[in-house]
Amino acid sequence: MIEVENLTKDYGTVVAVKDLSFRVGKGEVVGFLGPNGAGKSTTLRILAGFLGSTQGRITVNGFDIEQRPIEARSSIGYMPEASPLYPEMRVREYLGFRAQLKKVPRAKRADSVGRAMRQAAVTEMADTLILHLSKGYRQRVGLADALVAGPPLLILDEPTAGLDPNQIREVRSLIRDLGKDHTILLSTHILSEVESTCDRAIVIDRGRLVAEGAIEQLRAQRHSNVVRIVVRDAAAVADAALEQVEGVDDIDEAEGRDSEDGQRVLLITLKDGAVHGDVIQAAVSALEAAGVGVREAAPEKATLEDVFAQLTRAEEHEG
Amino acid sequence: MTGFFAIYRREMLSLWVSPLAWVLTFVFLLLQGASFAWMVSHFGNMTDLSIDRGPVQAYFGQSIFLIVTLLLICPALTMRLFAEERRSGTIEALLTAPVTPAGVVVGKYAATLTTYVLMWAPTLLYIVILRNTGHVDWLVVAASYVGVLGTGASYLSVGLLMSAMTRSQLLAFLLTSLVVFGLFIIGVGEYIFEPGPFREICAHVSVLTQMEEFSKGVVDARRLVYFATMIVLPLFITSRVVESWRWG
Repeated sequence: MIEVENLTKDYGTVVAVKDLSFRVGKGEVVGFLGPNGAGKSTTLRILAGFLGSTQGRITVNGFDIEQRPIEARSSIGYMPEASPLYPEMRVREYLGFRAQLKKVPRAKRADSVGRAMRQAAVTEMADTLILHLSKGYRQRVGLADALVAGPPLLILDEPTAGLDPNQIREVRSLIRDLGKDHTILLSTHILSEVESTCDRAIVIDRGRLVAEGAIEQLRAQRHSNVVRIVVRDAAAVADAALEQVEGVDDIDEAEGRDSEDGQRVLLITLKDGAVHGDVIQAAVSALEAAGVGVREAAPEKATLEDVFAQLTRAEEHEG
Repeated sequence: MTGFFAIYRREMLSLWVSPLAWVLTFVFLLLQGASFAWMVSHFGNMTDLSIDRGPVQAYFGQSIFLIVTLLLICPALTMRLFAEERRSGTIEALLTAPVTPAGVVVGKYAATLTTYVLMWAPTLLYIVILRNTGHVDWLVVAASYVGVLGTGASYLSVGLLMSAMTRSQLLAFLLTSLVVFGLFIIGVGEYIFEPGPFREICAHVSVLTQMEEFSKGVVDARRLVYFATMIVLPLFITSRVVESWRWG
């Protein structure tokens, strides 16, 4: 559905995207993941035809976006970041305008608008001025706009940015529903968003492709190679017991974190290839055998930054 | 020209649901009405009128009110067209739809031009009133309206270009006023320079000279070419500017 080859975008002072290549197949829901400023929005804007690329070739639905921009754009429902709308229009009017702009035939326009409003759950606001809508509704009107012409491909730039937790849940479930009959590329800087909505992720950082793969792989990356164990105060004994456990590389004590009530937080770094579950089980038995009370034991969850750091390091190893 | 009708409709709606067009029409008709009333009372005291020196000629051809109102109305009509879309970010949704720059530019332009024509429409009543008290040459009236339309259309085209040059509506307004006023000042050069090419150029550009001719029923092809240039060139540059945003 989308093919990007060697895409580079040079703003003159900054290179926002550098030699980026990826594909999105028909029917896939793909998360475009990266920290702020990684070049996500720039890439999506180029795909949507808002910005030109410095180098590279992009085809959308089989149409080269430079050679046949109108056809390419007709196959995309694009929702820009923060979905800017005209405040002086009513929701129905706005969507009608967008449908006309996207060449929905006059006879089908009212139906398309009605369907898009139902899909995005904004029907009850059909006759409200956009000016008076809350952020959540505006976001959904933006989504309805992307859907109104019934395009096969949706490109959503940070669809949940600025929403409250309930709205985020709603939008995510909506995206999952839409994913059944659309190809979707959505960008986010939140790892869990990709986990909850996408089949596959493309990770970029500083304009370069860092990793690409199924969510399971990403999920595996998500657990760092650190296990966190909280024990009752018994410093020397605990350390000695843990050092004997197979797969343990190093033991650190987390200072100043949860260390009240005579508890200690130990961070155990695993050897390469060691499995979290096995080490935790072995460590807990070893500690129990040594008479140390265990309060908690769990893989330390990696932050997005950690995952990026790991992915970037992995890239360097391979390169 | 893909996208023309949708954009035209939206711009018309957006102009007339906001107070802007109504306020401008009100101010415009107030000024024009005052100008016309003043002309009529002036001519009402004259006993002898020559054929090409009547109230119609004075109203369209010799009134500074015309340029003053256009100086206010045209930049105000065009200032928000692109500046507002770029400031609020809606331009991104607009340009990622299957539209061409030409469709966007001409659609927006046509909407302001229609609005401009609608603002002038009530002034036809002035002529109807005049006819009730005397003779009116409708061809002269038609020529005058050609002049009014051409002048306004060229200012609106410049205004659209200026709106595409900046994200600030105020700046777009001021830049357009500056160009319109600049053209007027160049026109004044006709009365300053010695006869020669400079004076010719000034006379050619002068809105006062143009309107004086049209108000006498003279439709000169050179004037029409001037209007066409002043409309098409800024529109063309605007569509190139819109295209250039992709490389920003």
